[in-house]
Parts: sequence; structure tokens; C-alpha cells
Amino acid sequence: MPALSSDPTALATPRGICQTGRDATRRWPLLLKITMNFFAFHLMPWDRLPADFDTKYKSAWTWLPNSIYDPEHGHELYNRYLDELVLAEELGFDGVCVNEHHQNAYGTMPSPNLMGAILARQTKRVKIAVVGNALPFYNPPTRVAEEFAMIDVISGGRLIAGLVVGGGPEYYSFTINPTFARSMYHEALDLVLRCWTEPGPFEHYGEHWKLKYVNPWPRPLQQPHPPIWIPGAGSKETIDFVAERRFAYMGIPYFHIDFFEKNFNAFRDACLKHGYTADPEQLGWLCPIYVAETDEQAWADYESHLFYFAKQLLKGLVVLPPGYTSARSIAGINKALGQFLSTVETREQIERGAYAIVGSPETVRRKFLEHIERLGVGNLLGLFQLGTLPADLTRKSMTLFAQEVMPGLRKVLNAGPSPVG
Amino acid sequence: MSAETKFLDIAGKKTQVTIGGQGPPLLYLHSAGGETDWMPFHEQLAQNFTVYLPAHPGFALSGGLEQIRDIHDMVWHYVDLLAALGLPRVPVVGFSLGAWLAMELAVLRPQLVEKLVLVNAAGVRVENARMAELFIDDFDEMRNLLFSDPDNAEIVQLAMPTSLDDPRILMWLRAREATARVGWNPYLHNPRLPQHLHRIACPTLILWGREDKLIPLPHGQFLAEKIPGARLEIYDHCGHMLPFERSEEFAARVTQFLH
Repeated sequence: MPALSSDPTALATPRGICQTGRDATRRWPLLLKITMNFFAFHLMPWDRLPADFDTKYKSAWTWLPNSIYDPEHGHELYNRYLDELVLAEELGFDGVCVNEHHQNAYGTMPSPNLMGAILARQTKRVKIAVVGNALPFYNPPTRVAEEFAMIDVISGGRLIAGLVVGGGPEYYSFTINPTFARSMYHEALDLVLRCWTEPGPFEHYGEHWKLKYVNPWPRPLQQPHPPIWIPGAGSKETIDFVAERRFAYMGIPYFHIDFFEKNFNAFRDACLKHGYTADPEQLGWLCPIYVAETDEQAWADYESHLFYFAKQLLKGLVVLPPGYTSARSIAGINKALGQFLSTVETREQIERGAYAIVGSPETVRRKFLEHIERLGVGNLLGLFQLGTLPADLTRKSMTLFAQEVMPGLRKVLNAGPSPVG
Repeated sequence: MSAETKFLDIAGKKTQVTIGGQGPPLLYLHSAGGETDWMPFHEQLAQNFTVYLPAHPGFALSGGLEQIRDIHDMVWHYVDLLAALGLPRVPVVGFSLGAWLAMELAVLRPQLVEKLVLVNAAGVRVENARMAELFIDDFDEMRNLLFSDPDNAEIVQLAMPTSLDDPRILMWLRAREATARVGWNPYLHNPRLPQHLHRIACPTLILWGREDKLIPLPHGQFLAEKIPGARLEIYDHCGHMLPFERSEEFAARVTQFLH
């Protein structure tokens, strides 16, 4: 993977494309090859909500009583979930992803860095994408520079560093002022990058943190620093920022595929505006995936688990505390929520919107080929476990995907232009 | 009688001020809901006073929220605004967030505040009388929280939007953001304010809706104990939104107290 860094000269020239302008990028998947990277993404969700959850609780977030969490069962779950990520390496995935959520049933991973550290030892080859650390929740944010550098050094330079603003519900959970979310985030992000690229000790006098001696040990193994991934849900400001800094833009998941396409096109336009052509590796799409022997078997296995995820675990995820985004963005997000998985009711809607890709190896391969070319993404982040899906089915689906879907996708996509249709 | 809205530059902050009525000046400091339009109780107060109704930074068409980090920045803004308006000494009526600002002002610059009326005031936290969550999105929950009778559509509609389609929604979102800026953490209070309340020497009237679920009545009782000579009056069958729920009684009582 080329270095996606703040240093424009550090970015490899995208393969097989010359800058032909705006119209060409619209059709660009026809013009170049995509070196696909396949990741197995884990939320480490809670799979046992009470039977009366629907009526009794308004959210799986922030206020859902932690008495529902059962540590004995948690012990089994954590170890099983880690095994699933280790399996991903054995199966030939390029990377694994973990992420950070607090006080909720959707993802019981308040510290993804702990999981990243375990995976740094339990895997030998895969990229470890921590997507990400919610910067305003780390005080001081130099902790992120330290812990990420530790994982990078231990793993031999396999870390991908996700730097995120944190979810709306978490500003309630931590009572961190959401009207400062963006300015804290940007100050912390610049500070983390300085930690990795500027010799210490130096001083930092920002709006939110005042640090006399910034000099974190260790420094990351990857130079100038690990690749940076930043998620976004279509806000123009985020797209422009990620494009300008030549980071990678990960679409915030569970939207209709039209929504991703619009945002990824906007990202490519923003890159052109900043004087370069986006590399497919600068874009990632996180998508729930389930593969079984046949389409019928896949839906029979999966449907109830997908809806547990959509209706229970996603309940209360989209909360926009005041000032977290501009009033204009709030209007945009409210509109986009009509294209969000939690509002979906039927299998037909799932298939039409590509909210999840479900089916036989052949169906899944065909759909991904079409969607990846349409979206122009170089990173596919597969969500293979999403709550109640049992261990055996999770492993079956991952194995079928790795053995019967991935090779075909690599072959076609890595080979270059598809026939012009 | 009509009120006039103008805009002043206060230390670089565009500030909306609506002025109406006749008589001695009265400064009305609005709540988190941002009642910066001319309300019936403003009109009633304006029968006897020249009512000054500024919008706090970040509310309505007032700018300058980027200069505000906490409640103290907002209070200094009012020190500046009163100087710009040429009001060396004025009675202050504050509702909720506005009452918090009024108390902070009376502590910081006692000579500016002639009399104080505090209505269902934010600003202090009382143990075992937990304040409810104001930063919620659901409009139905919001009116249940704020009003003694949430089904009184006429009163509720006057005070707040009840759907995302309401034309006031943009101003509502701005008001929420500006309130969060000063009131997210610590939540709607200044932990250091109680130790300064003994400095408030002007005549003080405290009005409270007994059924206030957002800032429960013990907060009013606490303030009445801490502010020297303060008088607490409690309205039955009334929630947090006292100036709306008891519009006429409120304006009449304030007028009487300030005369």
C-alpha cells in the first residue's frame, strides 16, 4: 500500500491513469486497474439483548443499562471475535479492522488499541487497521501517537491509523462538549502527525491543549508515519480536508450505495481540485457480507441476524448533539437517513441498496464486481459478524468469501479495464 | 406597540437587540429556547418599561459564538453590551439560561444590576434534585419535559418548534448549539457560582414553576437560601416555561416588583 501521508510527495503516482479531467473521473473505473485490499472488519457487538428491548429501550447506546452486559459471556465473545480476526489472516485477507465505541451494545470495544495490540502478536502478515481512535476522547491526544506507534512497532509496521471525531452518542457518554468536537479533532490530528514527523521535544500551545514537552516514545516504524484513514458521511468539509491532506476516505457504513457513490465521486473531484488524481486505495467501503452455498441458504441463514443488527444494534446510533456538525450538515444527514440501513424493512430493499451483500459465492462475486467498479474503491471492508450471527456461520461465510469470492475479484479487478459496456 | 430590532457591534460580535415600550429600562435575558421574538409577555412588560431584548451570542441573528468558550465570556459580553446601550444600572429579568447569566452579571458587576428577577433559573446544581436532559432531539419528549400541560398547543407552539418542518428550526438548532457551548459540561451550571451568591446585594425575586422537570424546584429553594434577602414565589400547575405558561401573571408580578 502506498503511503497515504500528509506529505504530497510521499504518495505514489496512481497506476495507469493520466489526469484527464472531471468527466473522465466520472467514468474512471473503466480506465484503470484496482489493486484490491480485502479487510475483515469487526465491531465486537453484543449478541444478547433482552426480549423486551424493542419496547423497553429507546437506544442501544449511552443509556442502555450496563447490567445487561454479562462478563462471563463477554469472556467467550471477546475470545471468539479475536479468533475470527486471526482466521482472516489464515484465509488470506489483506487486513483486519477494529474500531472504538463506548457505552453501547453495537460495539463492545471501547479500546480498539488493546485489540490491535493483541492482533499485533497473534497475526504475522495482515494490516491492522484501527479505525479509529476518537481523538477528542484522548487527553492529551499525544496518547494516540504513543499507542499507535506501539502497535506499529510491535507489528513490524502493519498499522493503519484511523483518526476519527467520535460518534454523536459518545459526546453524551463522556460529557465532552460537542460544540468543540471539530476544533478538538483538528487540533489533535495535527498534534498526532507532528508527534510522528517532527523531532521532539517541542511545545504545543493550542486552543484545547497546552503541552510544554511533547516528545513521545516510541516513534512509528512506518515512515513518515502509518497510513491515515478518516471516515466520513458525506460532509463537504471532511471530503475536502481528507482530499487536501491526501489521506484515505472511508465511507461511514450502512447507507444506500447511491449515497456512497455520490460521496466518493465528490472525493475524487476534491482530489482533482487539489491537483492530483485519487488513488482507489484512498477510498474504502464497509459492507456487511454473508456467503453460503446458495442464495436461498444464505438468506435463510442470515436474514434474522441482519435485522437484529439493523433494528436493535443500530437503534440510537445516529444522534447529532448540538454543534457536532453545522446546522446545514444536520439537514443533509437527516435527508440521507432515508437511505440508512435502520430504516430498511425488506430483503428487496437490502438488495436494491446494497446495504449488505448476501448470497452464493457466485452472486456475491458478481455483485461486488459491479459495485466495486461503480464505486472505484480499493479497499473493501467486510463486516462478517454483526451480532447474533453464530460462530460456525461466521466462519463458514468468511471461508467461502476468501476461497471462492476474493480470488475471482482480485483476478478481474487487478487485471485492469473491464470491457466498455 | 411595536418593537424595533437593531444590530450592534459589541467587541466584534454582531449582536441582535430588540427594543420596545416606554418607561425606565428593563433588560430581559432569554432562555436556552431563544425567545428573541417579541412575545406577549414582552409586550405586557413594555407597557411600563423600555424592554431591551438582546439575543445571546450564537442565538437568532447574533454572531460571535466563536469568541465564547464558557459562561464567563458570555457574561463579559453583557458588561460590554450594557456600556454600548448606555445603561449604567438596570433591572434584569432572566429566564433559565438568562437567569444564570443574570446571576453571574450581578456577581461580576453588582453596580450594573438594580434589581434581579430569576425565573426557573439554571446556574447551580443541587444534590438529589437531578436536572433532566435538555439536549434531546425528540420534540414530543421536549414539550413533555418543559410544560406542565404539553398538550396546550397554543402555548407550546409559541415557545418552540414541534417538527423539523417548522421554519424556526434553523434558529432552534443555533440556540441548542449556543446553549451547549456554555452549558454542556458542567451541565447547565457553574460549580463555583454558589460561593459567590452572597455577593448579590440587590433586591431579588425568584419565580418557579412547581412542576419544573428540567430544573426542579429545590434549585429555586437553594438560590433563595443563598442570595441575601431573595424571595421565592412558586406557581402551581406550572412547569419550566413559566413566562409562557403564566404569561400575564408573570408580566404583572415582574412589573409590580420592579416599580
